Amino acid sequence: MVEKITWEVALDIARRNLLDLWRSKMLLFFFLLFPLLLMSMFGYIYPPVPKSNPNTGSIGTAFPNLPVSLVQMDDGPAASTVAAQFIQLSQQQGLFKVSESTTYQAARDLLVQGNLKGIVIIPQGFSAALTAGQPATVQITVDETNPTIAATVQGEISALFNIIGSNISNQNIRDMDPGAPVNPAFIIQPISVTQVPLISGVSSSFEFLAPGFMALTVITGSLQGVATAISREKEQGTMDGLLVSPIPHISIILGKVTAQTVRGLIQGFLILGLSIILFGVRIYGSPIIMLIVMVLGTASFVGVGIILTAVAPDQETAQMMTVLLQFPMMFVSGILFPIDQMPTWLQTVGKGMPLYYAADALRKVIILNAPLTAIMPDVLILIVYTFLTMTIAIPLFEKAMRR
Amino acid sequence: MTVQESVTVSPLPNQAIETHGLTKRFGNFTAVDSVDLSVQKGEIYGFLGPNGAGKTTAIRMLCTLISPTSGSASVDGYDIVQGANEVRKRIGLVSEKLIMYPRLTALENLMFFGRLYGIERTTLRKKSEELLEMVKLTPFKDKLVGGFSSGMRQRVNVIRAILHDPDILFMDEPTTALDPQSTRFVRDLVKDLRREGHTIVLTTHIMEEADELSDRVCIIDHGRVMAVDTPQSFKQKYNTESLLDVFLELTGRELRDSANGRISMRAPMGRM
Repeated sequence: MVEKITWEVALDIARRNLLDLWRSKMLLFFFLLFPLLLMSMFGYIYPPVPKSNPNTGSIGTAFPNLPVSLVQMDDGPAASTVAAQFIQLSQQQGLFKVSESTTYQAARDLLVQGNLKGIVIIPQGFSAALTAGQPATVQITVDETNPTIAATVQGEISALFNIIGSNISNQNIRDMDPGAPVNPAFIIQPISVTQVPLISGVSSSFEFLAPGFMALTVITGSLQGVATAISREKEQGTMDGLLVSPIPHISIILGKVTAQTVRGLIQGFLILGLSIILFGVRIYGSPIIMLIVMVLGTASFVGVGIILTAVAPDQETAQMMTVLLQFPMMFVSGILFPIDQMPTWLQTVGKGMPLYYAADALRKVIILNAPLTAIMPDVLILIVYTFLTMTIAIPLFEKAMRR
Repeated sequence: MTVQESVTVSPLPNQAIETHGLTKRFGNFTAVDSVDLSVQKGEIYGFLGPNGAGKTTAIRMLCTLISPTSGSASVDGYDIVQGANEVRKRIGLVSEKLIMYPRLTALENLMFFGRLYGIERTTLRKKSEELLEMVKLTPFKDKLVGGFSSGMRQRVNVIRAILHDPDILFMDEPTTALDPQSTRFVRDLVKDLRREGHTIVLTTHIMEEADELSDRVCIIDHGRVMAVDTPQSFKQKYNTESLLDVFLELTGRELRDSANGRISMRAPMGRM
């Protein structure tokens, strides 16, 4: 369908485009710096999380030694024991730096000032309840201005009190029947949960992030790269030189897309390389399938870039429009965090973006060593996206060029 | 992408270009208003008019870069809409903006654009080097065009347009902003090209240039043809020594900075 000459011209156009990048040292520098910056920046924003170990009772944390305060309102012996255990466990596990406050109000003031991340209150009647064999309650206040920290503090405090609680139960059981040979842990915790990793070895948040960033770079690159390449040629006048010659206009599009694909692949694999070297990400999947997914990712969004260029009156507007599209896409497509935590309507928006599928497929290939058949749904959606956008883009480009 | 190609050859074999009621409107603004032209094969056709008269729009239509709103035109016997691709094979364009990549060398630029016409690589290379020699740029052939002076760039730009030996060459203000030496060089080049049998449509604001080069001159204003004649008979008719007087007589002396429809219309990226 597409003639040989079309491809020859397209490759000439692509080669010239890449030569242009190669010769502009400044552009090349930033082109290579971008993945480096992206990767190292997010590498340190998302610190590695050590895994919890249920056998030794250790709790992994991304935020060690958070300042919390303990307000002890009960003077009973049980309360003191629990408080002491809490302080000891916190320090031992490196979770909290525990201070003590005399009143809740004083602790609350400190939290509002930003000096505390959480408050643990042992209310009055705590000892009495325990002694009477009733369940006792500990109250927690967390710094709700930072949801991530708040959730962490809450989770970790609960975990610590679980441990303290089971210690108390053990004690109780031993007190009930000192001579029994039964393992008290069996009674309290008849089922324990141990994680069997999907892939052996330590996984880090980078294994979630790296494929997402690869997809992000490839797709935003194809959106922006083609749009700027076309509008720059229009403004500088060289597009006239292409259009006035007897080449099929599809060659121009194919040429730009090819050049952009090569650029996207370079950046994508650079990100992967950096993740391997700097952050110990391991690849489990086939590089060939990764390549296929990345090429499809580029193809799926290049049409949108062309549509924007055709619609926008100049380069600046085209750029504005691409940024406007690209920015929210970055957040809702599951690149930075899983989209399952978003409301349903936002998930729907996210799943409307090809970026979601490209990232999903790459993640499955890289982390789970998924074969092509396993990522078929993603691949098919990307192909459909490619055809759909191109069907709109090509006639629009044609029309815009001859306005 | 198949362009439906027309094989209807113009009934007058001596016509390089013929237009009938050629019109281009941008919104409410009529840039070219039912223009009838006929350019003979082998002549230099001076296409003159004040800024905004519609010269560039007319040339862009003839080059198949924009489609006419109404009317028709044929270039070398091929309709500019139906036979656009045939037209493209037969024309060369030197537009106001240089058609050239600053980060390619002179030779690379020629090779790139030559390839678009399907010229075979070795032939193309030989031809490019000959043309570079002709415009005295052989020592600079492997230097990036971005570092060239305006005169050097325009010389490359002109030979870029004739690489594929087009029958008809459109030159839109080819000597604007050139120094006297380069201007002289380009004008002589235009004369040489005519001698070799090329038809040349030339726009310029320099009346002495039009006078010196053109076989016939067409003066257009407000998108309409005011008059067509040889420079000689124009001057006789208006009883003056300079074409400038003729031009001012026909198009008036007022400055052309009234805001016409083009200001508000959507004219993206040098589309005019």
